[in-house]
Amino acid sequence: MLKINTDSIIISFKNLRKILFSNLFNSIITLLIIVLISVSCVNTFEWLIFKADWKVVISNLPLYAFGSFPPNEQWRPATWIISLLSLSIFTLCGPEWRWLRKNLLIIWVGTIPLGLYLLYGGIGLSPIMSRHWGGLTLTILLTVCSSFLSLPFGIVLALCRQSSLPLIQKVSSMYIDGMRAIPLIAVLFFGQLLIPLFLPVGLEIDRVWRAILAFTLFVSAYIAEDIRGGLQSIPNTQIEAANSLGLNQYQIIQFVLIPQALRIALPALTNQSIGLFQNTSLMAILGLVELLGVGRSILANPEFIGQYIEVYVWLACVYWMVCTIMAVLARHLEQRMTINQANF
Amino acid sequence: MKINQKIFLQFGICIILFGLIGILINNLIINLIRTGLGFNFSWLLKPASFALAEHPLPYTSSDSYTWALIIGWLNSLKVIFSSLILATFLGTLIGFARTGKNALLGLISAGYITIIRQTPLLLQLMFWYFVGFLGLKDNMFIQIKNIFNISNQGVEFSGLNFSSEFLALLMGLSIFTSAYIAEVIRGGILSVPRGQWEAFRSLGLSESKGLIRIIIPQALPAIIPGLTSQYLNLAKNSTLAIAVGYSDIYAINDTIINQTGRAIECFIILLVSFLLLNLLITNIMELINRLILKSRQYS
Repeated sequence: MLKINTDSIIISFKNLRKILFSNLFNSIITLLIIVLISVSCVNTFEWLIFKADWKVVISNLPLYAFGSFPPNEQWRPATWIISLLSLSIFTLCGPEWRWLRKNLLIIWVGTIPLGLYLLYGGIGLSPIMSRHWGGLTLTILLTVCSSFLSLPFGIVLALCRQSSLPLIQKVSSMYIDGMRAIPLIAVLFFGQLLIPLFLPVGLEIDRVWRAILAFTLFVSAYIAEDIRGGLQSIPNTQIEAANSLGLNQYQIIQFVLIPQALRIALPALTNQSIGLFQNTSLMAILGLVELLGVGRSILANPEFIGQYIEVYVWLACVYWMVCTIMAVLARHLEQRMTINQANF
Repeated sequence: MKINQKIFLQFGICIILFGLIGILINNLIINLIRTGLGFNFSWLLKPASFALAEHPLPYTSSDSYTWALIIGWLNSLKVIFSSLILATFLGTLIGFARTGKNALLGLISAGYITIIRQTPLLLQLMFWYFVGFLGLKDNMFIQIKNIFNISNQGVEFSGLNFSSEFLALLMGLSIFTSAYIAEVIRGGILSVPRGQWEAFRSLGLSESKGLIRIIIPQALPAIIPGLTSQYLNLAKNSTLAIAVGYSDIYAINDTIINQTGRAIECFIILLVSFLLLNLLITNIMELINRLILKSRQYS
């Protein structure tokens, strides 16, 4: 028993030597990296524990999470975030109840109206204006609503671009290519400025919904290209087979093209929504107090002036964590999709 | 579908589309009349009357708006092309480190790529600007024989001055884009079949020579399209300059809108500038791509 153990240790050491110290150049690089890592680790830990003043983070935690939501109503966004988190945990490692698994997508979609109801108030809850929304809650709301709205719009655009009618094809190509050429911040800024100009007098959309609309217009152009990639990779025989089965054009789109294209485009689509989550930070320059906006307003407070590093490191950690959760969920979804495909 | 049906459908969609656009434009005209702005470009010739901290060509606040826009264009081009070069250099290094033999180096570059890709660019830019450059104290001059000089005013290098806004933007953009370029390079290298590596090793070529002569030329056709889209992203991301106060084309349009309220005209100007910029980058990359393909054909 002991002998085998020492053998395997020797083998793993040999492997380690092979990948780290195979020649002189490699050995020098490895040693350099080890020195660099240890120095920077010591410095970072020293800073994290002794030098950094985490009061700027700890005393403002509710602000980061909920913005300027009225304090005695903060249980509402908290409930929403906690329900999203527990749903993610359940999706990843929950029990295999068949009826629940089947309806998981509906439950996920259901969190959007739940969140809107909890934030806006209304029936049974005191109404709260959207200008009080902020922090991580607003960031997540922007991400969720825009990705949910841009998916159908993107599908329609992709189908239009693949259409055999030249007019529709030209118009949607122009829209997609034009949108992909301009930077997001310009779309968001002009969304805030121009959307009110295009609406009839008296009809007004508040800032949050203008932002969601601008994000939707922007992201749907990218989603359309991803789905078009999926549509193009479906072999033509599928359409011929569907035709010979007697399906009409709309049935082919609904039952043959869309499900397969979505499955192929899934990794790209999840990447888009992770990118969207990061890009909601741009609204901080345009006057919404989402997560980065909260950081900026805290840094403008004379009490915490100059504590840039603490706030930015903290915000980076939060963004990184949410992105990682989203990426893990996406991978889980992809795996389930391939399993489903194998079953058919 | 029959031809008649197709024409009919297109006609119907045409009417709906034009109807919608008509309603929107009607609303726009009503709103423009209400705010008393109208739609024209004659204001472009009036003096801009705002100062710019950074101008590669002579500029004073009495110059016209057109000249201010051109300065903004040049500022944009300056930061885009310098960070493009830096990002390519960094990204290539990291991409090779990621695929290389040294496992520790690969691990570190993988960590770098995930951290950079999982945090927003805007946050990174603010970090570089407020912590990296403005964090330097006035008295903390780093001087090397009067040639190289770093302070919170920027960097002075033998007579050349770079402002801290420009440098923060340059660092942020190149580091952010380098993580994406590294993944493109890695994909390109992995797309070369393993047999090619074994073949050049068995021919007795050294590792570095084989990489330059055998692997990279075959990886390039897979790398160029990915690189082009990363360059386009970089050009679009450069508009975040406004967060650190660098006066690029978007920031100047923003100032003009605040001064004159001409949102629609400025939107059109911005749209055209970016279409031109995209065309420029895609054409240059297309040219490079063609040169590479050509060199492969004749060798």
